[in-house]
Amino acid sequence: MVRINGFLKFQEFKRNQGFEPLPKHLPMENFTNETIDTTQLPRFEYVPYSPLHPAYWKVLLINIGVLMLVCAIGVGVFFFNAPEWSGYETKVVGGLLILFALILFFVRLGFSKKGFAFRTHDVLFRQGIIATNTMVIPYNRIQHVALHEGLISRLFGLAKIEIFTAGGSASDLEIPGIKKEHAENIKQLLMGKIQKEL
Amino acid sequence: MEGLFKEPQKQSPIGVLVMFLDTMRHYARAFWPVLLVWVFRFNDVSKVWLYSGIAALFVIVGVVAYLKYINFTFYLDYENDEFIISEGIFNKSKTAIQLDKIQQVNINQSLLQKIIGVYALDVDTAGSNHKEGEIKAISHPLALALKSRLLDNTKRPRVSPDISTAGDPDDAKDLDARPPFVKIGLPSLIKVGITSNYIRSFSLLLLFFFTLSDNIHKITGRDVFHDEDIENYVDGKRMLQVFLVGVSFLFLVVLAINLVRIIFKYFDYKITRQKGSLLLSFGLLHTKSTILKPEKVQMVSASRNYFQKKMDILNLKIKQAKSDDHEERNAAIEVPGCNETERDAILKLLFGRIPEKGLMLKPNFRKLVFALFLTVGLPLAAFYTFGYYYPRSLYPAGYLVPVYVLFVSMLQFFKFNNNRLFIHDDFIIKQSGAWDICHEIIEPKRIQAITTSQLFWHKSLGIGSLTLHTAGGKIAFQLGDFETIKQHVNLWLYEIETSDSNWM
Repeated sequence: MVRINGFLKFQEFKRNQGFEPLPKHLPMENFTNETIDTTQLPRFEYVPYSPLHPAYWKVLLINIGVLMLVCAIGVGVFFFNAPEWSGYETKVVGGLLILFALILFFVRLGFSKKGFAFRTHDVLFRQGIIATNTMVIPYNRIQHVALHEGLISRLFGLAKIEIFTAGGSASDLEIPGIKKEHAENIKQLLMGKIQKEL
Repeated sequence: MEGLFKEPQKQSPIGVLVMFLDTMRHYARAFWPVLLVWVFRFNDVSKVWLYSGIAALFVIVGVVAYLKYINFTFYLDYENDEFIISEGIFNKSKTAIQLDKIQQVNINQSLLQKIIGVYALDVDTAGSNHKEGEIKAISHPLALALKSRLLDNTKRPRVSPDISTAGDPDDAKDLDARPPFVKIGLPSLIKVGITSNYIRSFSLLLLFFFTLSDNIHKITGRDVFHDEDIENYVDGKRMLQVFLVGVSFLFLVVLAINLVRIIFKYFDYKITRQKGSLLLSFGLLHTKSTILKPEKVQMVSASRNYFQKKMDILNLKIKQAKSDDHEERNAAIEVPGCNETERDAILKLLFGRIPEKGLMLKPNFRKLVFALFLTVGLPLAAFYTFGYYYPRSLYPAGYLVPVYVLFVSMLQFFKFNNNRLFIHDDFIIKQSGAWDICHEIIEPKRIQAITTSQLFWHKSLGIGSLTLHTAGGKIAFQLGDFETIKQHVNLWLYEIETSDSNWM
């Protein structure tokens, strides 16, 4: 934590504990304005991330499975109705299998790369296979929080947390694959933080 | 004074004329292709039909305007403290505006209204960005009286002494008489018109041409141009000459369109200071007025090209917080053709001080390499692959390849060379663009979210990208020194999270 003067630190401590908001105008005698040592700031790049719940991988598998099934049915119907294409079955099916193997590989990689972290003052979400993207949203910029349960996710007791800011859809955050109770707790925590900031 | 405006009132009788021209303008906008075809087919149609058609149009518009005038009334409801405007011929609408919600009452005059000698009065409330009520034709004494009535009510929350005195009729006059602090004259607008938006005007011209030729084709069943005609007309030797003349003619048309468009849109551009906010008004035929609240401003971008730099003009674009998604997407307010002093004055008002450039970040040269790969490498590869299979079809275009490569490479080089991020304690400025060089300015406290991004093979090189999201758009900077970026992200997060400063 940064070295600020004792009073401010105490105020901040109290604020974090939810006791009282920081007064808008601090009394003059308690006000100092020391230089911040930027090398001593808490660093977002070293934050340990929590992985998504393992059951979420099953949700992804089922989604891919459904997609595969639809494709298989489509291909089957096509070859049944277009006899002039017979002879290409092995090539098409082989191509599809390779495609799905690739999809499976990248989805798995993407799953293992995703992670989230809740710090005292902000939420972090990391994702991306080729590029590692890290998004940070400070709690005092959050507009509202929503909990979303997909059909398959619900079977596994998982939920998705959606965090909205005023920056439009580009700066909204979705964290999927969190245990329902855990997600509820996180939502409560965020709501508490937002209300306190207001 | 008490009973004033109690009874429903109509606008000035001369207002019928304003209504007429306004309706005409709307109809012209909707039916211009049909009108143009009429003109083109002048010989085909008998003159009796043409003139009777035009006469009928005038009569219809006249009747509509008269009905609009008859049905437009406004009055003050003293019991409910409301200002009520009712309008509409078949679809009646009644707008009731609570007096204590009224924030601004503006009296404007467009060129049209100036000729006729009436004023427009519009009412803004706290609720939304657009005008709640508008009276198009009203005499000046009446407008002033109505304005003072509207602003003078005891229920009004007295936020500052400045506002509470605004109800005084004398003061209202004083407010109108106050000189604008930025005024953009015709010379500046002409400068802007001839130096900007070439591409936009060109595409407008193309669109115009295609719509027109399509309409003519549909109605007359003839093509506007026949290929053979042109080929017969031009022999091989004069091809280049005709081509050059054609290009310069096109260029002149684009310039003219641009000039007319800019002047129509921004004629008589004025910025006035009013109670801590800025009031902008502009427009030749239809005066638009907007209120700008400095605390709502999220991003300001200033752009100018080489010519504009020489002429000391630049375009400012001010982006406010979008309160709703469905609210106008282009919430940006443009200030065309202000000079550097005016820019500094506006920026000082918006930010409290003139933004400074701090630490400069440059992108890695890989950014240029990648851009060249995308815009030169890939198209050329596609071109030659295609040419390999169909050699004859590409033969005539072959000599364009070096031109394209040279032009695009230069563009990309300038773009790369101008791409900078300046980080100051209170400002973040992104400089970008090849020809039009744009400076986007935000304050760290307006940041909503931060995204950093790094490709895995850039990890060892220590370069990465940064995106700063604000409620007025985002700023992205690619392939900068990642260690510096991360250090500043930490600092901005610290500043945002430890202060209660409101971002809106």
